[in-house]
Formats: sequence, C-alpha cells, structure tokens
Amino acid sequence: MNNILIGVLALCATIIIYYFMQKLYKKWSNPFLLPVLTSTIIIAFFLLIFDIPYQTYMVGGKWLDWLLGPAVVALAYPLYNQWNILKTYPLSILAGIILGAVIGIVSGLLLTKWLLFDDAIIYSLIPKNSTTPVAMEIASSLSGIPPLAAVFVMIAGIGGAVIGPTLLKWFKIHHYLGRGVGMGSGSHAIGITKSMENGEKEGAVSTVAMTLSAVIVSILSPICVYLLM
Amino acid sequence: MGNVRNIGTIILQIIILSIFYLIGTWIQAFFNIIIPGSIIGMLLLFLLLMTKKLNVNWVSEGSKTLIKLLPLLFIPATTGIINYFHLFSGRGVLLFPIALSSTLMVILIAGTVSQYLGRKRLRNHE
Repeated sequence: MNNILIGVLALCATIIIYYFMQKLYKKWSNPFLLPVLTSTIIIAFFLLIFDIPYQTYMVGGKWLDWLLGPAVVALAYPLYNQWNILKTYPLSILAGIILGAVIGIVSGLLLTKWLLFDDAIIYSLIPKNSTTPVAMEIASSLSGIPPLAAVFVMIAGIGGAVIGPTLLKWFKIHHYLGRGVGMGSGSHAIGITKSMENGEKEGAVSTVAMTLSAVIVSILSPICVYLLM
Repeated sequence: MGNVRNIGTIILQIIILSIFYLIGTWIQAFFNIIIPGSIIGMLLLFLLLMTKKLNVNWVSEGSKTLIKLLPLLFIPATTGIINYFHLFSGRGVLLFPIALSSTLMVILIAGTVSQYLGRKRLRNHE
C-alpha cells in the first residue's frame, strides 16, 4: 500500500472513531467516557491486534498532530475574550495559578526522583498539568518522551475531573474563582469541561487558569529542573 | 453557499493561526528559547489582539473551531502510549498514583489560594 492511502485511512478512521465516541460521551457524560480516552484505547487496541506499528499509523496521524501547534496559538482567543475577569481579580487568580504550577512541577519531580525513576520519565511527568500540546513540547525540550508526557496529561486530566470536584467540596472551595483556578490549573482542558458544567463564570476562570498555567509551566519547568535535578 | 463561505473563512483563519505557530517555532529555534514555539506564537497573537493591531474577527472562527477539535487532535499523540507500555509495568505502576496525587495537590492548593484572596478582595470592595 502506498503511503498516501495509509495516511488517509488512518486519518479517516481516527475522525470516525472520535465522532462516535463523542456521541457516546454526550449521551452519558461519564468522565471515564471522555472521547480522547476512549478513542485512544480503541485505536491502540486496533493497532496492537493487527500488529500495525505506531509509525505506520502516524503517516496519517501526523497531520492531526501538526495542528496541535496552531490549536495552542488559538488559545490566545479565549484569553483575549476573558481578559476582563482576569483584570478584576488579577492577584487572586495569578497567585493560585503560579502556586499550583510550582506545586505540580516540584511534587512530580521530587516524588519520581526519590523513587529513582529514569530522567526521561521524570522530564515527561513534570509538565503533566498543562494541556497536551504544551506538555509534549515542554517534555521534548527537556529531553523527555512527548507521548509519555501526553499519557501523564491524561491521568492528570481524567483523575482531576473525577476526584477534583469532590475534593474541592470537602475543603469548602465553593467560590467560582477557587473552583475554576483549581480545575484549570490541575486538569487543563478536561477540568474546563467539568467547570463549564457549573456555569460560564467558573468555565471562563478555568480557561484562563489553563492558558496561563501552560505559559507559566513552560517557563518554570526548565528552571525547576535546573535547580532540583 | 453561506456554508461554503464559512468553511473558507475557517480554513483561511486556521492558516493565519498556523503562520503564528511557524513564526513562534522560528523564534524559538533562532533564539534557542526553551518555551515551546506554539506558546510563543500564542503570546504573539495575544499581544497583537490586545494592542488592536489585529482584529479579533480575523482569528475568532478558526480559533473556536480548533479549540472545539482539540480532543481529536490529541488522539494521535496519546496513541503513542503503545510504544511505552513497558514503562508502566512493575515499579512503573507507581507513576499513576504519583501523577494523580500531585494533580490533586495542585487543584486543592491553587483553588484554596484563589478563593481566599478573591473573597478578601470582594470584602474590601463591599
């Protein structure tokens, strides 16, 4: 089979699977049915069963993968749109996001370092609380493993979306500022989806938190690695 | 016909966003910066939007579309896990609780700090 055909097949299969998984999620909206998670499991399962190398799948997959770059650029739009909320509570939001970014990087780095994991694994874990494309870029610039970083991002996103809201309730974080900053800082886009369920204000704060946290984590990660490794 | 024009607008705007991305990666490579090129492109676009050098309508539709499609764009990358399954076996299983507990700390502490400071500010204004 020639490469273009393989590419088109991989691309179409990915889009079709994602389409149906999204329908499934809309019907039940259980965090474990998150379309990224279910689609990835189905495709991975398919590749393993038919013994298709990942590199072959990526002949088509890389076209979608490339678009992650412009998609990160596109986050400037919600940031611009929600600038008003950020302007009203600059210190409260920024302090939470910065502290969250530091805790996420440092706790991940120290825990894996104490347990003697390989450097490449540590570097892949460090950016787990930022959104996937950013985390992958950070991991690759730290000489970690980008796909592994994407897996950690999924754990952070899904785990946070499932447990985070209950945790916040226990500790009496009821204000939309606190909930939004928490969910966006810890669980990026998946946290935002969860926050949107509680209303537009919390969703907006959550989006600001994810976007700013991505920028802050990408600046702080190399600094923390330099200081702690 | 409206639909075709809409799709044309979206594609054109995604091309504009892609140009920002490429400029970002060039800047990153040229100055050897550790911040990802996509983030540099994002900050550049944000700056142009805030200073009104670029009309937000030039990128709004393309941005909305890409953000809506984000989960789909992640899939090829996350499927890459199949090459790294071995890392999660044995002691590697610990990586799950590490990533999870670290994330829950982020959510709780970031949330607590923002709520505390936000409420204080609200009280001062009332």
